[in-house]
Amino acid sequence: MALPPPDPQFVLRGTGAAVHTLHFSCGNQEPDVPILFSGSENGFIHVWNLKTHRVDKTLDGHGGSSVYCVETMGGKNRLLSQGRDQRICLWDLAEGRTSVTNSVFTENVGFCRCALLKVAQGRWLMAMAAKAPEEVQVLELPSKTSVCTLKPEVGAKLGMPMCLKLWQHNCDSQPLLLAGYEDGSVVLWNLSMGKALSQLACHQEPVMSLDFDSEKEKGISGSSEKVLSIWSLNEQQNLQVYKTQKLVNAGISDITIRPDKKILATAGWDHRIRIFGWKKLKPLAVLDYHTATVHCVSFSDHRNPCERLLAAGSKDHRISIWSIYTQT
Amino acid sequence: MAVFDTPQEAFGALRPVCVQLTRAQTMENVARLQAHLAAVSTSALQELQEYVLFPLRFALKVPGPKQERLVQSVVRCISSVLAVTCVKKRELLQELFSELCTCLSPPSSSSKPAARSEELKLAVIQALHTLMHSTYGDVILSLYQPSTLPLLGFAVSLLLGLAEQEKAKQIKISALKCLQVLVLQCDCQGHRHLDEDEAQQCGDLFASFLPGISITLSRVITGDIKQGHKPTVSAIRLFYLIVGLVMADTQLARIPKNKEKLPVEQSRISELMVHRGPDWSKSTAEKLSLLLHKMVEFSSVHPHWKVRLELVELVHHLLRNCSQSLVGSFSHLLKALVGLVNDENSEVQSRCNEVLQGIAEQRVVTQNRALADVLSENLHSLATALPRLMNSQDDTGKVSTLSLLLGYLKLLGPKINIVLNSISHLHRLSKALMQVLELDVTDVKIVEDRRWGCESTCGPSGSLQHAMLKGRCQKKYFRFFTEEKVFQLLQQVCRVLGYYGNLYLLVDHFMGLYSESGMYRKQAAMALNELIAGAAGLGVDVLQEREVSPNMDDLKGSIMSILDEYTDQANWYLITSIDTEEIIHEPSVQHSGLSAHPGGTCSSVLLPSAEPHVTTHIMNSNIWQICIQLEGVGCFAAVLGKEFRLLLLSALYPVLEKAGDKTLLISETALGTLVDICEACGYDSVQCLINENSDYLVNGISLNLRQLAHQPHASQVLDMMLRHSDASLLPLVEDVIQDVLSTLDQSYNNQTSTFLRVLHSVMTALVQWFGSSCGEEHQQRQTAEWRSRTLSQGQQVVTRQEVEQFFLDYVRQKQIAEGNLPDTGNEEADEIPPLAKPEPNSDTEGETPLPSHAQLAKDVMERCIHLLSDGNLRVRLKVLDVLELCVTVLHPHGNHLLPMAHRVWPALVTRLISDDPLAVLRAFKVLCTLAQKCGDFLRQRFSKDVLPKLTSSLLSQAPASARAGPVYSHTLAFKLQLAVLEGLGSLCEKLDMGENDLNKVADACLIYLSAKQPTKLQEAAQSVFLHLMHVDPDSTWLLLNEVCCPHQYEPPHISLRPVKLSGMGRQRNEFTDNVLLLLERLKQQESAPPWAGAQEASPP
Repeated sequence: MALPPPDPQFVLRGTGAAVHTLHFSCGNQEPDVPILFSGSENGFIHVWNLKTHRVDKTLDGHGGSSVYCVETMGGKNRLLSQGRDQRICLWDLAEGRTSVTNSVFTENVGFCRCALLKVAQGRWLMAMAAKAPEEVQVLELPSKTSVCTLKPEVGAKLGMPMCLKLWQHNCDSQPLLLAGYEDGSVVLWNLSMGKALSQLACHQEPVMSLDFDSEKEKGISGSSEKVLSIWSLNEQQNLQVYKTQKLVNAGISDITIRPDKKILATAGWDHRIRIFGWKKLKPLAVLDYHTATVHCVSFSDHRNPCERLLAAGSKDHRISIWSIYTQT
Repeated sequence: MAVFDTPQEAFGALRPVCVQLTRAQTMENVARLQAHLAAVSTSALQELQEYVLFPLRFALKVPGPKQERLVQSVVRCISSVLAVTCVKKRELLQELFSELCTCLSPPSSSSKPAARSEELKLAVIQALHTLMHSTYGDVILSLYQPSTLPLLGFAVSLLLGLAEQEKAKQIKISALKCLQVLVLQCDCQGHRHLDEDEAQQCGDLFASFLPGISITLSRVITGDIKQGHKPTVSAIRLFYLIVGLVMADTQLARIPKNKEKLPVEQSRISELMVHRGPDWSKSTAEKLSLLLHKMVEFSSVHPHWKVRLELVELVHHLLRNCSQSLVGSFSHLLKALVGLVNDENSEVQSRCNEVLQGIAEQRVVTQNRALADVLSENLHSLATALPRLMNSQDDTGKVSTLSLLLGYLKLLGPKINIVLNSISHLHRLSKALMQVLELDVTDVKIVEDRRWGCESTCGPSGSLQHAMLKGRCQKKYFRFFTEEKVFQLLQQVCRVLGYYGNLYLLVDHFMGLYSESGMYRKQAAMALNELIAGAAGLGVDVLQEREVSPNMDDLKGSIMSILDEYTDQANWYLITSIDTEEIIHEPSVQHSGLSAHPGGTCSSVLLPSAEPHVTTHIMNSNIWQICIQLEGVGCFAAVLGKEFRLLLLSALYPVLEKAGDKTLLISETALGTLVDICEACGYDSVQCLINENSDYLVNGISLNLRQLAHQPHASQVLDMMLRHSDASLLPLVEDVIQDVLSTLDQSYNNQTSTFLRVLHSVMTALVQWFGSSCGEEHQQRQTAEWRSRTLSQGQQVVTRQEVEQFFLDYVRQKQIAEGNLPDTGNEEADEIPPLAKPEPNSDTEGETPLPSHAQLAKDVMERCIHLLSDGNLRVRLKVLDVLELCVTVLHPHGNHLLPMAHRVWPALVTRLISDDPLAVLRAFKVLCTLAQKCGDFLRQRFSKDVLPKLTSSLLSQAPASARAGPVYSHTLAFKLQLAVLEGLGSLCEKLDMGENDLNKVADACLIYLSAKQPTKLQEAAQSVFLHLMHVDPDSTWLLLNEVCCPHQYEPPHISLRPVKLSGMGRQRNEFTDNVLLLLERLKQQESAPPWAGAQEASPP
């Protein structure tokens, strides 16, 4: 018989509001403690010290409106956060500072999280939903110069972009963008040409989240339905459905593939976190702790595989930390 | 009175006397010379020294038998001369020396010492002593030539003979002193210091005497104790001085390989000389070792402390001078020294410590491998013998054995690691400790002592403080000893080990013992705790500083691994009681399986006692193990200080869990540990500690609630948190209490009692934190009402008009009550229960959110409704308690309380009318509390649902109880009657019952005033009436008087009809006593009764 599902290793309390986004920063050398950033509905970003399991710092930069995306830009001292106040803020956290150094006004009212990709030392590409309902804009950071604006063909009726993922085959190749849209389709965009390479209708409902494995050229997306869709990219750069995975309960708010590409985690509206093997999508575990919708899941980037963690943030104001399958 | 200052004058004066003495040696002449000498100045006498000495020496040398008294006076005279002059000629010295010695020499024929008088002996010894002191350095050295060896030898043997065989203490002591001078080791100042060569020469000479001196002295030392301590002390001193001189390492090192040839003429003498070569020193050391062993054995237990002190000096001296030559004796010497550290005399103790300190500081041991070997050998054999000794010795013996062990360890100091690195040594030592530290687990009381905290939650904080203080030093009972001192020594042994030893090695070894067998677990834990304390240098008493102290990270690493082991499920959750509530869930721990890391190691959980039959001994042992581990946690905190804060994440939860344990000993110890942690981590109080780390605790609670087996523990932790904290905790706790409630919802069957305890403490805490606001206000109102009522009564001055007015009012009121007035239409609304009446503003008020604590109370109350009809009486009782607390918290929020009360009512009624008497009583309490807030709401329901049943049952039971015998008071029926009677009175008062109902109550209770009823019921019935008096004094008065009326009441005016009460003039009956008593109380209560007083004023 399979082992019973584990308990969380720890539960972080005290955000005081629903948690919408999580991001680990554990890659630094020893004296630096591993850190988890969390963004919550009350507009605060909490910096959690994973040694003491307490909040080290609280950042307030979005005027009380929900923070739904937090990313680091190389190290824990440069932080990017996106809030419902239609702003993307860049933070400088070095030496105890907590200041917003730069910000981008998105003028977009949706929930689409921005996507970030490092293209060179100190140069980043950021994709975000633009002001026009169906458009995606790509900027270069930190200069904030616009690289391109991706506009679907007239009459495509994709709806608003829901989720974005920037990636490239390897360091030299072209950066590409995967975008999930309101009508349930996933589109692969070429940034330099500014045109769609391929489009695949994965879901009947809006795509809530997607993640992509650039090694296997395989991606996964979830929507508000009871199904996960796995699709792959063939040599002609065409997206095609690879497999679908049925779920018991409908609604996936976040999907993350672990950096080692062995397993993936989904955040469910049914309060549960599900773990699947990435290769065959074998269901491995159902982590049941939260008492409300799970909004986000995130894997840590710790150097030591044994200390890698999974974190999940939920509407019940709690962040659960799990240690799972670290030995495999 | 120096009369003769110049030699000439003195000569003139002394000459006749000297001449006379030369002619006739009589005592008178000696006395005359003596008298004249007194008048001569020192300098003059020095000039005439030889002249004066001549007749005296002549007197000694005259052949033939001499009068003993004459010799004695001559010797005295010589010594008086020598005392003030000095000998400057070698010949004179030698001649005087031999002449004096001859005085005591036996007649040449016999070998026995001549039977001289004691005075003479003393005089000679003193004269010799004086002679040695009056001789200058260079001159005196002439006595210490190989050629004078026979002379010296003679003197030595003479003095030794005196010291050994004389009975008089004075002679013994003087002889020994004199010998001491003779071997040039005088204590007094002013002697010339010998240079190395001279000392070497003397050493060579004295070596010849060493056997004789040492053997004789050892005999003196081990001689009869009756000789007193002084000779022994002198003998010991002499012994170590001479041995220290002859066997000195520095001297022996300079001895040439071969004996040097002396000139031929001295060949006879040279035979007497000893060559102190390696062979000689070896054999001498062996012989000395035997003597030393004997002496040490004897004098280390000598009753007089000065002897023991001198022994310390002996060890000190020898260790300083002969640490190489006498290495074989040191096992005894050090044993004695170390043993004397705990001497009963403080002076010996302190000197001993000084000496040890000195040894350590000079690194005698660390630099001398041989000595370290001796010590480690001693240690090994002692460790081997330790269990046996501990078994057989009495407590003082144990103390000395252990202080010996401790002393060895301290002396070894940093060299301890030599011992520890040898597996057999470490093994022996640790096993010995394990056996000695075995606890006595036969005490049943430890298992029996329970903490009934739930009943007296948040009791006086004094008792908590007391428990905390007590918890810090739980007295342990050991199998092999009772003396506290023994335990302290063992503690020190472990600490010293930790201080010097390799921490990793030790921790590893003792952890091995800890997990090896349940038999050693407690002892190993104790040892580990002390080791860590020692390693950190806490409370450890050592002789020398260690070279390197371990850094914080090493300590932390060791501590973390020990903590992990301690708080492992198999070592932390042990069966400590056979309480049914707990044991049901305990075994399930095994199945729960640790699955925090599905891919990782799943530690196999093996409870040490999985079998269902658990003896008291096992439980006692388990309790102690937990306590020791808890003490360990406290100790680790003290070691790490603020660094321990990081470990609180994992350590605080288990400790708090144990603080809530039902076994008194465990919970007290855990509280003590909490205090320790507070101090170490710099928190002001336990409350601070809990408040600031509540996030860790809440996390632990919420995670543990998810596992059935750990739910009781989690609830204990929550319980403790609530008890030791304040309202600031609420936001975090609220979160976890919702978890508790939802867990409870899933398991009403098995865990109810556990969770009820939590709910109880939650509600108690809420009442404590927020209750004051609602409770006080209410009470104030109540007391104010009461006061105004009594005040108005007291101030009333009754006039006839008022009496009249009263009656008029009364009649009117009565008519209204009977509905005789025309305008009754308005009153109809009263018939509808207050709850059913829609309150005009209930909607708006209902929308205002409840404060979180009240919301919690409401949620808890919700659960209580379901649990009120639980099958288990204990659960029901607990629920009633919780319910009462809920009502208290919800008091200020009537809009929420009333609907809840409405829902609770049916279940509560069942408790009131058809439950165990205990439950009835509690239910009454709840009812009373409820009544304070929603009296109106309850009054009608009570009189409709409950009162009829209660009164009828009272009435029907009354004949039975009146008839019953003494056994009746043990029956359930009796308890029920009692409960109802006890509760009814206050309830009537609280609910402000109507007249009709009051009459019903009074009627039902009246029969219980009968003297035939059991006394307790009578008293309870009295209490009902006392309460009724508060509510309605008048009708009660009337009712009582109907039964029995002690007075005749004359109407104040003839126009009034005479008062006729049915109780008047009745015969004394069964009710009389109680009624009279109650009437008396009523009279007291109504010190100025409104109208009865006016009437009563008239009777005579």
